[in-house]
Amino acid sequence: MLSQQERDEIEAEFPHYEKKRGVSVEAMKIIQRHRGWVSTQAIEEISEFLEMTPDELDGVATFYNLIFRKPVGKHVILVCDSVSCWIMGYEEVRSHLLSRLGIQFGQTTGDGRFTLLSVPCLGACDQAPAMMVNDKLYGNLDPAKIDEILEAHA
Amino acid sequence: MPKLVIDEREIEVPEGTKVIEAAEQLGIMIPRFCYHPALGSVGACRVCAVKFLEGPFKGVQMSCMIDAKDDMVVSTTDEEAVEFRKYVIEWLMLHHPHDCPVCDEGGHCLLQDMTVSGGHGVRRYLGLKRTYRDQYLGPLVQHEMNRCIHCYRCTRFYQEFAGYFDLGVMQIANHTYFGRFKDGILESPFTGNLSDICPTGVYTDKPSRFFGRRWDYQRSPSLCINCSLGCHITASARYREVVRQEARYSEAVNGYFICDRGRHGFHYAKSETRPGKALVDGREVTTEEGIRAAREKLAELMSRIESDGVACLGSARSSLENQAMLKQLCQKMGWQDPSYFVDESLAKKVKTAVTRLEPELTVSLRDLEGSDAIIVVGADPINEAPMLALAMRQAQRKGGKIVVLDPRPISLPCDYTHLPVKLDEINLYLGALIKAAVDPEAITDAEKDVARFYREAPMLEIFVDSLQKKASSLAQELRASQRVVIVCGTQVVRETTVVLAGDCVSLLRAAKKQAGLFYLLPQANAFGASLLTNKEFSFLNTLEGMENGSIKGLILVENDPFYSFHHRQRLDLAIEKLDLLIVLDYLESPAVRKAHVFLPTSTLYETGGIYINQEGRAQAATKTYLGGISIAQISGGNHPPRIYGSEIPGGEARAAFQFLDQIGDGGSDEDETASRQNPLRWLSANLPALAKIPPFGELTEAGMLINSSDEGTGQFSLDWKEEKDKGDMTGDLLEVILTDLTFGTEELSSFSPPLRKLERKPCLFMQVNDAAKMGLSSEDRVRIKLDEGDVEVDVRLEENMAPGVVILPRHRLLEWQKVKRLPKFVRFEEIEKVSD
Repeated sequence: MLSQQERDEIEAEFPHYEKKRGVSVEAMKIIQRHRGWVSTQAIEEISEFLEMTPDELDGVATFYNLIFRKPVGKHVILVCDSVSCWIMGYEEVRSHLLSRLGIQFGQTTGDGRFTLLSVPCLGACDQAPAMMVNDKLYGNLDPAKIDEILEAHA
Repeated sequence: MPKLVIDEREIEVPEGTKVIEAAEQLGIMIPRFCYHPALGSVGACRVCAVKFLEGPFKGVQMSCMIDAKDDMVVSTTDEEAVEFRKYVIEWLMLHHPHDCPVCDEGGHCLLQDMTVSGGHGVRRYLGLKRTYRDQYLGPLVQHEMNRCIHCYRCTRFYQEFAGYFDLGVMQIANHTYFGRFKDGILESPFTGNLSDICPTGVYTDKPSRFFGRRWDYQRSPSLCINCSLGCHITASARYREVVRQEARYSEAVNGYFICDRGRHGFHYAKSETRPGKALVDGREVTTEEGIRAAREKLAELMSRIESDGVACLGSARSSLENQAMLKQLCQKMGWQDPSYFVDESLAKKVKTAVTRLEPELTVSLRDLEGSDAIIVVGADPINEAPMLALAMRQAQRKGGKIVVLDPRPISLPCDYTHLPVKLDEINLYLGALIKAAVDPEAITDAEKDVARFYREAPMLEIFVDSLQKKASSLAQELRASQRVVIVCGTQVVRETTVVLAGDCVSLLRAAKKQAGLFYLLPQANAFGASLLTNKEFSFLNTLEGMENGSIKGLILVENDPFYSFHHRQRLDLAIEKLDLLIVLDYLESPAVRKAHVFLPTSTLYETGGIYINQEGRAQAATKTYLGGISIAQISGGNHPPRIYGSEIPGGEARAAFQFLDQIGDGGSDEDETASRQNPLRWLSANLPALAKIPPFGELTEAGMLINSSDEGTGQFSLDWKEEKDKGDMTGDLLEVILTDLTFGTEELSSFSPPLRKLERKPCLFMQVNDAAKMGLSSEDRVRIKLDEGDVEVDVRLEENMAPGVVILPRHRLLEWQKVKRLPKFVRFEEIEKVSD
């Protein structure tokens, strides 16, 4: 069941859209903020609330790589693998992250702390190489800085 | 109209024609996957690339995305375009599993054709392939996503064209997945079309898997006889059984698609219960002995009774040839004319429809797609004739307005306004809506009877408060519409409603709208049956004759009254009193078991036949195979019997017209082709409406529109309210409406094993407020008291239905035939909850 707060937040979006279904993406972002990810059950709950079929909503959900349809770790790391970051040292950033976390892209560490994902661009070419942890952007990365960032996310 | 050159040939096409379509008109088939004439262009697959040499565009472009324009010079064979298409095929094939040998699409696969013709003969990609998990989609469609080339035809058909949203696109880019949120039975009754339109083997016909390749099949143009629309079908047979049916394109009727009831409704023809041998007093005999017995027994009977002591009941599911031959036989023998409908009121309604369909009022199913307002009166498209709902959706997608006046809980795959009103009140509301839709100025010069009809039609104010607002906004929209079609059912409505629907169309036309009339009839050839029906002889007369002893002999031709007659006990007793019951049929039934003489008739797959659809369009189905018991049945899964002979095993069935011919003339053994000309000649000589019916085999694809309208019959009858006699019942009553469901009520398709898996459990639909009065809630089980006993059934509560009615489906699993008289009313207390 959607919580009262979740419903309220979704309803607050309704005036911005012509149809209820227009709120799909926002609604899933709201649920993800509260629950960390969007489960199959959540898809059913949201779709019912927005008067659409779960098939339609899941089509939207699975289209976007930042709507998580599987559980993620406490912190989600998004590493930019686009061309500017690549020129500025992405490969070193990647191999350092993979070895420090002991996981591959798309995986979550055994302790549930980190999920590692790649993204095509963070719009931070001026600070390349760059990554995001949760909602915060980190630029000009090098192994030492990465270690520092990981330490800071318990 | 733009004029352009394609491959050095000039063509002029209407504005808005795509280059791919223009080429097709020249006979040049540009490769395509995502483009489909019914679904339009999306430019997803890139395989229709051609080179534009001159004109507003230059270079390699997608021919499905560009409108034909003046001065265009297009080459489909230009080296650059050919090479482009070759690479497109190669990358579409990158992840394809190359599993053609085990794929059921192999042999009729567009991807195979395009791959080979596109020049991609050798695979270069050696890397890993992406794989998917397939889903269970129900008993009709097999899913195999690895074969997908992402053309989007499936979801465009399923969602946009057909209006169901439980199958769609998931994921993105290389992972794009076509399927459902979760495994499960597809909800749409049009799912089989996925197998037809998928250009590869992602969706294939499940019941016919592993049975053969297309080239193994005997394929023939046939017709669907599972409702009255007459959709075109290609039937495929192998090893003496029909294996698969596909949609066959028809310009006027079904377009490119058919419904699942039609696609999978053919299993009756190969049912294990189908009676294949002649029976005399329950004993198997040869066909010749059967015919002889029928003749002898008839002669013996006629020697001791009056000639009107023999009655015949034909059928609305028989071909025109069979129907006509029966009437011919009756006249030859001096018997009374046959009836063709078990339900007398239904016979009257069909007769009205047939006589009201003047050529200028008639609209085809495809015409309906172009209307801007459709008023449905007493019809439930999805349950009675699913393809009608699909056509209505196309009208609605183009901006058409859909209004439904029906007491039942109607559900349609499009936007519509449902006014749930009682059957007694439909006429009033229809009259009021039409009156409000007519501009008074427009009919100032109308003829007197039209003007009077308009004047006396009820005002919108008659709508109850809860519907008032809906009705007046509807009336506004109807007034603005130009091409209005009234769709009128014949199953549940009162007799006067069928008349009024025609009157309303006449009024709209007098008001200078292009109004059309579209009736739904009860069975595939109800139109033909009605043409042959003589008003004076109804099955009720026959029944009374049987009861009072004046009728001693009955011949049933492809009609099982035990299935459709509402009062089983009465029928049982009347049949008991007969001295002679002769049954000709291809379905197993109680009538077959009770027959003194039974003769096995052939189905349309074995004989073909002419059927006249609800629009009056006479169309022909050709023979698919020669008949006989299927090899699967005769061999029980092992090697077929090692017996040599020239006969077809189990091939005793003959066309009903042949049997009737032989019963009439002493059994001169004419072959089928010769025998068939007999009833057709008789028809053209005796029925003016059919004077021009051509010999079998000369009917064109479009068929022939039959005009049997009789101007001036019952026009402008002003029957605004037809209150049915409720006998001595007073107070609050519920009308029991016997009705159809998509699956489980139609006689022929109820023999289909895959469709049986889709049948909903029989239930009694009740309006929520009525149920609340009785303290009933959803999932309660009730016992409803009918005249000859009870029916126990689950309750289903619905908001969008009329109060004061309950809906009882004529489900094959329900013994509903306990009603003495229709319409049937019950008191609230006659429905009681069954405690468990």
